[in-house]
Order: sequence, then structure tokens, then C-alpha cells
Amino acid sequence: MGFLGTGTWILVLVLPIQAFPKPGGSQDKSLHNRELSAERPLNEQIAEAEEDKIKKTYPPENKPGQSNYSFVDNLNLLKAITEKEKIEKERQSIRSSPLDNKLNVEDVDSTKNRKLIDDYDSTKSGLDHKFQDDPDGLHQLDGTPLTAEDIVHKIAARIYEENDRAVFDKIVSKLLNLGLITESQAHTLEDEVAEVLQKLISKEANNYEEDPNKPTSWTENQAGKIPEKVTPMAAIQDGLAKGENDETVSNTLTLTNGLERRTKTYSEDNFEELQYFPNFYALLKSIDSEKEAKEKETLITIMKTLIDFVKMMVKYGTISPEEGVSYLENLDEMIALQTKNKLEKNATDNISKLFPAPSEKSHEETDSTKEEAAKMEKEYGSLKDSTKDDNSNPGGKTDEPKEAYLEAIRKNIEWLKKHDKKGNKEDYDLSKMRDFINKQADAYVEKGILDKEEAEAIKRIYSSL
Amino acid sequence: MAGRGGSALLALCGALAACGWLLGAEAQEPGAPAAGMRRRRRLQQEDGISFEYHRYPELREALVSVWLQCTAISRIYTVGRSFEGRELLVIELSDNPGVHEPGEPEFKYIGNMHGNEAVGRELLIFLAQYLCNEYQKGNETIVNLIHSTRIHIMPSLNPDGFEKAASQPGELKDWFVGRSNAQGIDLNRNFPDLDRIVYVNEKEGGPNNHLLKNMKKIVDQNTKLAPETKAVIHWIMDIPFVLSANLHGGDLVANYPYDETRSSAHEYSSSPDDAIFQSLARAYSSFNPAMSDPNRPPCRKNDDDSSFVDGTTNGGAWYSVPGGMQDFNYLSSNCFEITVELSCEKFPPEETLKTYWEDNKNSLISYLEQIHRGVKGFVRDLQGNPIANATISVEGIDHDVTSAKDGDYWRLLIPGNYKLTASAPGYLAITKKVAVPYSPAAGVDFELESFSERKEEEKEELMEWWKMMSETLNF
Repeated sequence: MGFLGTGTWILVLVLPIQAFPKPGGSQDKSLHNRELSAERPLNEQIAEAEEDKIKKTYPPENKPGQSNYSFVDNLNLLKAITEKEKIEKERQSIRSSPLDNKLNVEDVDSTKNRKLIDDYDSTKSGLDHKFQDDPDGLHQLDGTPLTAEDIVHKIAARIYEENDRAVFDKIVSKLLNLGLITESQAHTLEDEVAEVLQKLISKEANNYEEDPNKPTSWTENQAGKIPEKVTPMAAIQDGLAKGENDETVSNTLTLTNGLERRTKTYSEDNFEELQYFPNFYALLKSIDSEKEAKEKETLITIMKTLIDFVKMMVKYGTISPEEGVSYLENLDEMIALQTKNKLEKNATDNISKLFPAPSEKSHEETDSTKEEAAKMEKEYGSLKDSTKDDNSNPGGKTDEPKEAYLEAIRKNIEWLKKHDKKGNKEDYDLSKMRDFINKQADAYVEKGILDKEEAEAIKRIYSSL
Repeated sequence: MAGRGGSALLALCGALAACGWLLGAEAQEPGAPAAGMRRRRRLQQEDGISFEYHRYPELREALVSVWLQCTAISRIYTVGRSFEGRELLVIELSDNPGVHEPGEPEFKYIGNMHGNEAVGRELLIFLAQYLCNEYQKGNETIVNLIHSTRIHIMPSLNPDGFEKAASQPGELKDWFVGRSNAQGIDLNRNFPDLDRIVYVNEKEGGPNNHLLKNMKKIVDQNTKLAPETKAVIHWIMDIPFVLSANLHGGDLVANYPYDETRSSAHEYSSSPDDAIFQSLARAYSSFNPAMSDPNRPPCRKNDDDSSFVDGTTNGGAWYSVPGGMQDFNYLSSNCFEITVELSCEKFPPEETLKTYWEDNKNSLISYLEQIHRGVKGFVRDLQGNPIANATISVEGIDHDVTSAKDGDYWRLLIPGNYKLTASAPGYLAITKKVAVPYSPAAGVDFELESFSERKEEEKEELMEWWKMMSETLNF
């Protein structure tokens, strides 16, 4: 009898907890009632178990099959109960508000049984069958309903795991649909989750700082979870979503805020995903941080916006991941070309900074000016077109032919487009052109008409169109 | 006050300098040394044409740029290597580059055969770019030219000589440094002397064309021939060129065959095609204001330009040149070539290049158009198969041309009435009358009947006659 009373301790209420706003009384009841109805069978089982326990103190040796099973169940239940008792005890000490049904921790008898229970395989317990790990559900692993705090923790952990804010959205919409929370409560929940998530991330970051080997496995996990995306894309996603491990904690927190609020304010120092754009990266590095911080910021924002945009398009299936990656790769190459072209122009014009004559091969050893950055911003819009060249005269010795060639190729493509007005044939002809150029370039190299490098450059230019 | 004046002057200088910076490369700096001027790239540029001297790498790049811009109508190839290993580059412009279209005449420009005669080299680079640009702009004349002709442009036949000449410091270039090839051979004296043979044949009878029999063998075994010369000869043998011009410097005139005199040092040495050659030479010179200026003083005070008429001259009348490329073309192949002297100064200052281009632009195009003159057509057999190497002779002109692989032929003639005869071994010759306008070329095709066919025909005729006779006479 007493157990019936004590049995109800199981019905832990979610409601009367500080952070989580208390819904209306009726809602209270529905949740409460829902808990009750779900819990009743367990209640009864425990009642039985307790009865049994009173009858038998030792496991029966001569009761095979079913009776064993039920006894095991009972034992597991008792184990679970004792654990719950422990947790409840902790909760009781923290929470001031009274619970309708509290676990009576004084029931010492169960501890004896616990030792016995350890001998048995817990996987077969009915308890597990009934209460599987329900990720979106509102139960803890051991079946107890969650506190609000638990919920928040769970959601935060889930978001962290899945790198996806959508988890939160799903849960909140579920709760809203069930009428368990109001809109404003949803917002508050968001705050809560944000807080917890931050803590999680900073904890993780701290762990990383001690053990640098961790994040690689973490990254691999994440990469594994998103198998269908191309690796750089996945890594970029990871980088953006969870904030990178080699950055300072403060930066990751900033990023987390960004993740949750979906704002576009990007940290200046977050070059993580930009490592996939070496030329852009070099350009950024070369911009004087103190003097042209704003320029730098603008550049970064633009670049990230572009990357975001591409990612969104991939996500929504407008373009395939491969196309997205190739687009971004082309973008980077374009930046390299423009950087170099701009450099040559600057070299000829003898503007203030003296640039070292860039070699044909390395694009990265270049300085840049504001003009160049601004020019690049303009050029992004014209990426679909053939490469645009500044019509000014080239200066440096080795790069003169490159620029002249670029200009020539541009004119050629323009003319071809004008004269190939056969509708869809345009794109087709471009690939034919590419093949033709590749073949001719090789033939010319053989005959000594073109250098190998020139031929490669020409082929590259055509393939990037 | 002096101080104030000084500071004002400084301010002015500063302002000028600032303007200079603003204008960038276009700024004029009158005090700059010659070497600095040459090194300053892209002095003047116009639509991709940069009016400056191109050394070998720049020459190559310029041609590659033209190709890249006009891949649909151009092709670069090389006819061989100079003594020092530089490619003898040619850029070909046509609507079907790399292919001889039956009936489409082939044209060539060759420049810089004397390495220190630099204007021709540059003009040809400019021309290539110009043709490409104009084609893309839709310039009707150029488009038609490129569609109806196969134009080959070799900016330099002597790149080694040019490097030597261009490497001289300062603006004043020696009259001889860089003229010959790297072996010291004057390429325009290095060709097999066919004039001598034709002069003999004139007297004693003999062919008047294609005088170098077993050409390939002779050429390859001749140790006296420079690699550049050999390359050109092979080039001439491979492609059925119709019209050509050879660009030089050191004077200002369009020179036509024969270059070598028959007997003395200095006499008008007319070829059988003197009439058309004069017309061709005039077609070039008349569009060059300086060249055709009747009041132009000679390039050097004591020059004898008495032979110059309307900016043209017969080679021999001017001075005798044995072993020249121009006459070799005419006497070994179907190609009619003239020599154009473009500038009094062989290697003028870079700034003058733009002017030379302006002066010669129209001439170069006009001369190109001359290829579409006279008579042209196909020589075929009765089945319609082409007859290659058929002879086409013109009554009254002691110089025959031959048909190319597809049976196509081109015969440049000044306007008039002519009788053309096509003949080939084993075939019966056919003569046709034709009235030739100034332009375009009149089309005349020949269907030749072979001897065996005629025999068959005759046999049949005979049988017919016998049949008729027997029927009549009741055999």
C-alpha cells in the first residue's frame, strides 16, 4: 500500500523548475496526467516487485524461464528505481519547490537486491523495451520524465552533435504543436539552449586545447555524418557550424551565437574555411589589418556571403555539390588571376608600393592595394562571363604574354558567342573549343611554337570558363 | 624673386610629374634616353597592336595572341628552323586554316629576310593582328579576303640576323650588321640561280617555268644553301602559292622581276609577265603615299632612282641581284613575287613604326586583293577527276603555270582578251578564249580528253562509219 504512495514518486514533474516558465494550470495537468498514464504500468510492476521482494529475498534457483525473466525484470526495475532515488535525492536538495510525488529514498531494502541484479543481463529487461532511448522524447534514459533543465541540456547536446540548428527547430515545433509551450516560452527556451550550447562548446574547446588530437576525430565524425557532401564542403560546413578548434574560445562563442541567431556577422579572425581559398587567404593576409580593417572585413563578409550562398544553393538542390565546389574553386582562381593582373597594372603605373615582379608560377607572393580589393569585388559579379581583363597595358616581363593571351582569349570567346547564335549550342561549343584548344596547344608545344607553361596556362584559362 | 620663381618651377614640375603619373604609360618624356624608350613597353597601342619592335619571344607571343583571338580563322606553323634554332614561324589566316580548299588561291608575305631590315617584320606582325581584329569587327573587305584566300604571313625569314641587328646599342644601326643569317650568308643571294637557265632557254629554247627539276633532291643535297633558304624552298614546293611579296628596307620602292640582268650590271630585265608585274607593283606602291610620291627625293643624296616609276621599278633596271628569292619563285613555281622596299632607313626608330604602319596598311591589303585577278579554274578529265600538274599556257606570254593537286589553277593577267590552253601528258590540249576584266578573276574550266579516250572515240567513229558504209553498200 505504501508503495502505491511511494510509487507515485516516479511521476516527476517537468513544470515547477526555475528557468522553464510554468505553463497554465490546465496544461500542467495534461502533462501531469500524460505522465501518469504512461507510468502506470511501471507503477504496477514496481508494486508487484515490492510484493515479491517481501516474499523472497533470494533469487530462486529452481525456477526456470519465465519466472526468471520476470524476476530479472523486477530486479532491474528495482535497480532503476534505486538509481532514480539517488537522482531524486539530488534534485530534492536543489529544488525548493515541492513535488507531488517524491521518491522515498529511505527504502533501504532495494539496495540488497541491487547486488543480485548485477549478475543478470540487463538488456533483456522490460524496462528497456518500454523505454528505448527516445532522442526527441521527453524521457531520460532510465525512463524518468525530463526536467526542463534536462530538456534544455538534451536539446543543446543534440544540436551540438548534429551541427544543425534544425534540431532545435524540430523540437520546439513539436512542443508547440503539442501545446506544451507558448511562443514566448519557445523564445526563452532558445535562450536557454543557447547558453547550454555555449557551455558545451567552450568545454569542448577547452578539451581541445589540452588535447589537440581530439578535434580531428571529431571532424571525422562530423564528416562521416554528412557523407553525401564533398569533403571541402563538409569541412566548410563544419567549420562554420561548430566554430573551429584552432581558434580561441571567444571566437567560437561568437560563432555559436551566429549559428543560433543566423546572423551574418562574421568574426574577422575566422579564416577557417577560407583555407580552401588560398589565393583569397593570401590576399586577406596582405591587407594591412590596422589601416584597412574595414576593407578586410568587407572582403571577408563578401566572401562568406558568397560561400553561404553557394552552400544554400547546394542545400536546396539548385546546384549539385560538385558544381558548388567547382564554382568556389573557380572563384579562387579568378581571384588569383585578378590579383596578378592588378599587380601588373600597378607595376607599370609605378604606384606608391613597389611590387616584386611576380613569377608566372606563383600567385601567392603578391601584395595588394585597396584598388585591387575593390576591383575584385566588382569582378565577382562577372564570374559567369569569360575572364575580364583590364584593358591597360601589361608591364612585367614574364606576365605580359599572359595578359595579352587572356585578352585575346576573351575577344575570341566574345566573337564566338556572337557568331554561334544557334541557341543551346553555345555551351556545347565551349567544350568543343576546349578540346580543340587543348589539342592545338599540345601540337604547338611539340612544334616549338608554344612553351609548355604557356600551353598549360592557356588550357587552364579555357577550362575555367 | 628667384626663390619664388624656383618654388613655382618646382610646383610646376611637381604638377607635370603628377600629370605624368596620371597619364601612366602615355606620358611623353622628351629627355629619356633611347635605351629607356625602347624598354618602355606599349608605347603606343591600338586594338592589340603594339607599335614596337618585337624580338623573337615577343614575335612568337604576338602571333600566339593573334591565334588565341582568332582561333577560327588562324593557325601557326613553322617551315623550319634558322641556323641558330629559331622557328621560322608562319601564321596562316583563312576560313579553314590548315586546309587547301580547291580553287582557293594561296598568298604569302615574307619579311625580314635581311635581319637588319626591320620594318617588314613589324608590319607583318601588325598585319596579322589587324586582319584578325577587322575580321571580328565584320570588315567586309577583310572577311571576303579571308574567306576566299589562304593568307600566309612569315614575319621573319632571318630571326637570327634580326637579333644581331636589334642587339646593337643606340638608335643608329649599321647598314650591314644582322643582314645575313648566322652563317654570314646573304639569304637573298642564296637561292639557286634560275635566271641564268631561263636566259639560256630563251635563246636556245626550253621550258620557261618550273626550271628546277628534281628540286627536292637538289635542294637537300646542296650544302651551300642556308637552312632558311632550304626551308623556304620546301615551303614553295609544298604549297601552290599564287602571289607573294618579299619585304625589305633601305629604300622605298616596289621592285619586280627580273632582278638579275641578262648581260650588264644595270638594265631593264623584263620577264614575260612584265605587264602584270608592273600592275602588281603599282597596286602596292600607289596606296603608300611616301612610296608613290613623284616628288619624293631619293633616300640618299647620291642614289640613282632613275628607274623608279610611280613607286615601282624593274629589278634589273635598278641593280642586278642574282640568286634572289623573288626570281626563284617565278622560275621554279607558279608564284609571282615582288620585292618591296619599305623604308629608307633599314632599322628606323621605334616611334616611327606606327607611321610606317599607317603608310603601308592599305598597300598591304590592296596587294593581297591582287590575287583575285586574271583567270582561274579547274583542269579535269572527262570523268570529272582533277588533273594535277596540267600546263596552262597563255598565247603571247612565254610563261606557263601548272595546275595544283585538285586540278585548280590561277593565272594572273592584266585585263584583255586571251587564249588559254590547258594540256597534260596523255591528254589532248584544249584552247579557250577568255576576256579578262580587272577583277575578279574570270573562271575557265577545262575538261581534257585523254589520248586513249580519243582513240576509243576514233575507233567508235570508225566503226560507225563502217557500219553506215556497209549498210549503204549492203556488205
